[in-house]
Amino acid sequence: MSAHASVRPTAIKKIGASEIHILWSDGHASTYRASYLRRHCRCALCVEELTGRPLLAPEMIPDDLTIVSVELVGQYALHFQWSDGHSTGIYPFAELRALCPCPHCASASS
Amino acid sequence: MFGKKVSESDVLRALRQVVDPDLHRDIVSLGFIKNLKIEDSVVSFDINLTTPACPVKERMREEARRAVAQLEGVREVRVNMTAEVRPHLGLDRSALAGVRNLVAVGSGKGGVGKSTVAVNLAAAWRASGARVGLLDADIYGPAVPIMLGHGQQAEVRDNRILPAEHHGLRFISMGLFVPGDKPLIWRGPMAHKALQQCLFDVEWGELDYLLVDLPPGTGDVHLTLAQSVPVTGAVIVSTPQDVGLVISMKTLRMFQQTNIPILGIVENMSYYVCSHCGAREEIFGHGGARRASEELGVPFLGEIPIDVRIRQQADTGTPIVLADPESPAAQAYRAIAERLAAQISIVNYQMTPLRIEEVST
Repeated sequence: MSAHASVRPTAIKKIGASEIHILWSDGHASTYRASYLRRHCRCALCVEELTGRPLLAPEMIPDDLTIVSVELVGQYALHFQWSDGHSTGIYPFAELRALCPCPHCASASS
Repeated sequence: MFGKKVSESDVLRALRQVVDPDLHRDIVSLGFIKNLKIEDSVVSFDINLTTPACPVKERMREEARRAVAQLEGVREVRVNMTAEVRPHLGLDRSALAGVRNLVAVGSGKGGVGKSTVAVNLAAAWRASGARVGLLDADIYGPAVPIMLGHGQQAEVRDNRILPAEHHGLRFISMGLFVPGDKPLIWRGPMAHKALQQCLFDVEWGELDYLLVDLPPGTGDVHLTLAQSVPVTGAVIVSTPQDVGLVISMKTLRMFQQTNIPILGIVENMSYYVCSHCGAREEIFGHGGARRASEELGVPFLGEIPIDVRIRQQADTGTPIVLADPESPAAQAYRAIAERLAAQISIVNYQMTPLRIEEVST
């Protein structure tokens, strides 16, 4: 994650109700589906704080989950209100970059 | 006497030689030149800087005057220095709409003189002509109201808080929410709510700079600030001692993690000059903050000596910058305030505004 610490978004787009598109300062582009981001929520309700044990099973999240609203948190993260009522997650940009699901990033991180 | 008449484009071409040393661009393409007039070979114009606390104001005035005076057909050059602090893009929460820059002042540990530094920097900016506010968010030891003395008290009117005002500075303290001598026993959510009130329920009006004096270390108040508003940047106050610095680094990392630019490090209590013999004593060592800032690639803003008058003036409610403007301590504060203002202008110049665009499919 630290490798992406200095990379910043230059443009953020919400596309339709269930996709987020981020263009990064190094030229990379990421597209995230709402259900994918929701399944990676790091909030205290979804991940046990002390042990890091996941409290959320991916299959609990419907594939057609939508974004009710999205806003900036200061200048370092995004905050979502999801259609399943969940809204406690904060997604720092560095973490979003590390979560980029594109084939290139996915193969680099695995 | 019927020599060449000088044109506006001649003048602008000459002024392109003058470069702003902080923004690394010429003052014409930066849009600093205003009200250019040529009458009877007298050329007059304004240079509209990004801060009244510009450290190189006089140098730029002189360079501009000389560049234009060289032109054929110019008999006299009149340069008027003005300043308009540019707003930090992204500060548009309606209540803070009049606040152009929000600057956090942090430290790794308590007792490094953070509030004294904040108050004197605010006073130095005010003295240079900027409109300045101060939010004392140090819930554990709110000191700003003591250091600025009793002027006009804060009051609540129509559910809005009017800030206190003294020495031309508007200020509010989170201590306001705690009656008298009661100790503060707050859970995180209460501190969160109190800071948000101080940000959004206060009639700050038009301000060039709003300084936020944070509690020492890292914690709830810092996160609330980082999450609630786009902070222009943060200043770290440290003593020269290593232990203070190691802890300050944690504060610095926290600002970096929340994408708040580090505007620089100030070394407080840097050295002591004996009032009897003039000998310089480096009580806590010296230069630690400068070395750390070099290693981290963060601007070093300057050092402030230990001077009993700084403390005495703070206790009487008139910061030394105002009480004794020619003292070495006041001069040190002024130089730091100017360097800090320059760093703020740089951040605002480089910053691209971030917003979320909604695209329907």
